[in-house]
Amino acid sequence: MLTVLIVDDEPPARERLRRLLAEVGGVGVAGEAASGREALQQTVRCSPDVVLLDVRMPGMDGIETARHLSILTEPPAVIFTTAYDQYAVNAFETRAVGYLLKPVHKDKLAAALAQANRLTRPQLQRLAAAAGEPGRTHIAARRREEVRLIPTAEILYFQAEQKYTTVRHLHGEDLIEDSLRTLEEELGGGFARIHRNALVNVRHLERIERNPDGRYSVRVRGCAAALPVSRRLAGELLERFKI
Amino acid sequence: MATPGGTFRGDADSFYLPDFCASRAAFAVVLIAELIAIVLSIARQSSTVGFWGELARGSLFLLWVGLVSAALLCWLRPRLARLEVGRGSAAVLAMLTAVVAGISAGVSLLGRSQLVAGVGAGAYFPSQLWPFVARNTAVGFVIIAVALRYFYVTHQWRRNIEMRAAARVHALQARIRPHFLFNSMNTIASLTRTDPALAEQAVQDLADLFRASLSERHQTITLAEELAIARTYQRIEQLRLGERLQVHWDVGRLPGDARVPGLMLQPLLENAIYHGIEPRPQGGTVTVTGERSAELVSVVVRNPVNERHAEREGNRVALANIRERLALLYGGRALVKAGRFDEEYIVTLRFPYMACTPPAEATPGSPEARVR
Repeated sequence: MLTVLIVDDEPPARERLRRLLAEVGGVGVAGEAASGREALQQTVRCSPDVVLLDVRMPGMDGIETARHLSILTEPPAVIFTTAYDQYAVNAFETRAVGYLLKPVHKDKLAAALAQANRLTRPQLQRLAAAAGEPGRTHIAARRREEVRLIPTAEILYFQAEQKYTTVRHLHGEDLIEDSLRTLEEELGGGFARIHRNALVNVRHLERIERNPDGRYSVRVRGCAAALPVSRRLAGELLERFKI
Repeated sequence: MATPGGTFRGDADSFYLPDFCASRAAFAVVLIAELIAIVLSIARQSSTVGFWGELARGSLFLLWVGLVSAALLCWLRPRLARLEVGRGSAAVLAMLTAVVAGISAGVSLLGRSQLVAGVGAGAYFPSQLWPFVARNTAVGFVIIAVALRYFYVTHQWRRNIEMRAAARVHALQARIRPHFLFNSMNTIASLTRTDPALAEQAVQDLADLFRASLSERHQTITLAEELAIARTYQRIEQLRLGERLQVHWDVGRLPGDARVPGLMLQPLLENAIYHGIEPRPQGGTVTVTGERSAELVSVVVRNPVNERHAEREGNRVALANIRERLALLYGGRALVKAGRFDEEYIVTLRFPYMACTPPAEATPGSPEARVR
């Protein structure tokens, strides 16, 4: 039997999907979630086959939630639901991503469930860009079978390693798979690239120092070590902070 | 002329020639006739009568042509307006050319009469009849044709602008967010099974709201009616947002019979919920307060500020729209202020208190009760 997780911030909308799923048959409701964060927890706990995900939710929206879901070892298939959102619908349409318009028709729900697919991470990344997502609110990191959400405001810096990227944040460190280039694109102006392998959160930047050898390095609040600034990016950084 | 609102009052106003019965138009005709007379006098300064003589006879001739034409157009305008544009223009062209020819012939004949010869003013009149008439008719024909073309093009241009303005006002007015419509439909679809009575209520509320939104523009309603519409809107949103939405109404001191433009308060509540409550996982409270001093009524809508989304386009459009409509009703005496103060977004409306007397057949307080 196919198990489904219902994610929508509006109780009547969840209620209706639950009833429709019962009428479609051959489907079990694994659970309900009222927010993106809850959806992640529920997915980890009961690993549903399909997640019905509302696009417009307070806090973390549906597309961002889908991106966090995609870092799981066995991510569920995702079907987006939306009442009205031209940009998102255009994006789903052109990328052949499953979506349903609310109020959802029963036969369309059945058809969508029958062909629900997992979405790949590059696919989701392009989707987010096309749907005009306002920017990521969190970075998701996987720790064994748990997904940890780090609010972007709490991130100190990212440092690229061989295969992974380390996120250094207010409560420690985590490993993620996103490249610095995509992170830089998606997080936008709040972060500054200081080196081929480092992206720093501007709001936690403490000071920029000039070393005896003429090179620069930056100090990030709460971190003992100084991060080196590459020669190529030093000019840009100094220009940005008018030093 | 068309009214500023962009509506055309029947046939007579859709005709492209200006209304020559109006004193302004008659004055313009006199002015233009004089200007042409001056130009012609400068241009051909004949030795026989000198500049002033030239100006005097030119003016006399042109004023006769201009004012007779204006009088004819004033008198025949309703009939001309009923013709289709091509025929009407041909008729006007023929008629005015005939006026020029007729007056030219009259002037020539007058010049040969005993009357003119008696006072020795023969030099002021054309010596030959037919060449004079033919020349004036030809010049008149060309000038009239060009003038008609000018009036036609300006009229089209003005009508185009008015239509665009009307379309814009209409688009602003009938605007309830589609997002709201579809979400409400989804809620109702859910309620039809779980709570049919509530679903029925929601359908009625939605119908009332759309009736108010689709009603004719330029309408004013009472403040009590507007408050009822806003509460209807809140009831529908409440079904969807549940406990996340709290609305605190403190409007007991507002005069229910004050005259306001329809859908003045509802868009403010809609914006407050859309920008202030919906994006917040924990929800929040929208506060609507109203005060009335001796002459002024003020309504204040406040909502918590959502950090992630700055002020959006939709909000500014709605505010500009309300500002415009209040200004239409109250002129410069109405005020719309909006801005962020600490953790709140506050919109203040202030306008003079003008009571409107509801018509006898309408029930006060129901959204159907409209006062023109």
